[in-house]
Amino acid sequence: MFEKVLIANRGEIALRIHRACREMGIKTVAVHSTADANAMNVRLADETVCIGPPPARASYLNIAAIISAAAITGADAIHPGIGFLSENPDFAALVEEHGFVFIGPSPEHIRLMGDKVRAKEEARRLGIPTVPGSPEALSDFAAAAETARNVGYPVLLKASAGGGGRGMKLARNEAELARLLPLAQAEARAAFADEAVYLERYLERPRHIEVQLLGDGDGAVIHLGERDCSLQRSHQKLLEETPSPALGEASRQRLLTLAVNAMKRLGYKSAGTMEFLYQDGEFFFIEMNTRLQVEHTISEMVSGVDLVREQIRIAAGERLALGQSDIALRGHAIECRINAENPEDFRPSPGRIGDYHVPGGLGIRVDSAAYQGYDVPPYYDSLIAKLIVHGATRDECLMRLARALDEYVIGGIETTLPLHQRLVGNADFRRGDYHIHWLEDFLGRGR
Amino acid sequence: MRIGGRRPPPAPDAELIRRLAELLAETGLSELEYESDGYRIRVARETALTPLPPAPPALQQPPPSEATPRSEATSGANGADHPGAVTAPMVGVAYLASQPGTAPFVQVGDTVSEGQTLLVIEAMKVMNQIRSPRGGRIARIMIADAEPVEYGAALMLIE
Repeated sequence: MFEKVLIANRGEIALRIHRACREMGIKTVAVHSTADANAMNVRLADETVCIGPPPARASYLNIAAIISAAAITGADAIHPGIGFLSENPDFAALVEEHGFVFIGPSPEHIRLMGDKVRAKEEARRLGIPTVPGSPEALSDFAAAAETARNVGYPVLLKASAGGGGRGMKLARNEAELARLLPLAQAEARAAFADEAVYLERYLERPRHIEVQLLGDGDGAVIHLGERDCSLQRSHQKLLEETPSPALGEASRQRLLTLAVNAMKRLGYKSAGTMEFLYQDGEFFFIEMNTRLQVEHTISEMVSGVDLVREQIRIAAGERLALGQSDIALRGHAIECRINAENPEDFRPSPGRIGDYHVPGGLGIRVDSAAYQGYDVPPYYDSLIAKLIVHGATRDECLMRLARALDEYVIGGIETTLPLHQRLVGNADFRRGDYHIHWLEDFLGRGR
Repeated sequence: MRIGGRRPPPAPDAELIRRLAELLAETGLSELEYESDGYRIRVARETALTPLPPAPPALQQPPPSEATPRSEATSGANGADHPGAVTAPMVGVAYLASQPGTAPFVQVGDTVSEGQTLLVIEAMKVMNQIRSPRGGRIARIMIADAEPVEYGAALMLIE
């Protein structure tokens, strides 16, 4: 087992990893920017190294500084956390070349899943459905119309070279397709100097459902159930729950088995998440995250498994000690992301936290590096706390969540707490009746 | 920076080398190689002591940057707020001389000119020259040779 782990991250997730290390008797090294010199994870670490000025590219993305910090402190392994360098295959490879262990998957798997086109090809090869569409650019209207008939309307036209919504057009029938195809091509040409477009089926009310996986690289893979992360704004998750209120037991088992078998065939090592869209009883793979996720906490609450501890054990070369039959998923868990943002227009709200009081009691967990008098720096993402609530049933969990939200006090800055209070009182949400576009509609209605 | 329990670099064990050298004389062999735990010692007679296996190739590294005083008023790095402080622009190990046993680049009391090399910081096996941001006299050297330094750490005072 490792003696010393360098945590190449900041904020609540750095603290989360520090906690797992401490409980395993492993010393920690916190690396930080000058803006985070007073952060809680830095205060609690055994050793600290300032690696650069506030901008992330000069500090938390500064590979040379992080590897040098590992060298001067004599760390055995580096945990990349979430974001920053966690899905950078070059970083993972360099860490290993310099004689440290990278706590995560192999650089090859990070690279494979980081290429969204290759990842989907790999998923199909592993027997996992993806959103039906044309694999290649559409040559003309006849080809487009035939593909659209095969995948079923409505269809979304997308620029092959693109992203960010440019060149995207939604066609509900063949007449619309005839009208929109030239427009999509023209927009693609204007935006990317390449008029190639492809199409795929448009899902109107899908849910975002993901599977938490854990593999040891020797072919053993288990799941810790699914998470429903459909409550999103601008592709940012706001609240997650497990199990998904939308899935029946048969669908759930089908999804979990599909994901576990795929990862066994891949020989995946470490924690990872396969993300799917789910609509009308069908699952479509969208991407895989080859790292820990912010919302891993709810899977821990229902399974009792410490995912960071397992990541560290696996990285140290140990086999997966748990079989699927050892995992019992109990009760219901919900995580609310508390961001330092205005709860209506989502403007960032950095600054000094005044009064600070966290909720407590049975079934409550708060993962946060915040404290009274902490200055939320303006340089990084706005997540400052995660409120995680567990209950025997979804109803109990919702009642407990409402109670905990009322107790939570964060003064001095604006946070998303009031938005969560509105959400938890909403009838659609309480029924579990929502999809990935629902939150934006809800926010629009609130104006 | 708060560091402790720094593990010494994997250096050859002097006692072990002495024993290998004795063995070499005893057996009359001209060369002897011993490998354990990732390092290798080769002892040879007649020829000079063969160097240890070469270090891994230098990795891509941004060009050595000029030492610039930090503009942020933040502290945190041992008294780097002195106006004449030269601070570390990167994390690494600071060396006051180009080779062990050679004269240091500068000493207290020396007059230095802008751009003159003050020390080097080794980061990821690359030696980065830290140059003087201005002319002046070296009033203090705050680090020892081969000392690990973090970003922003005060290295020297120039008056």
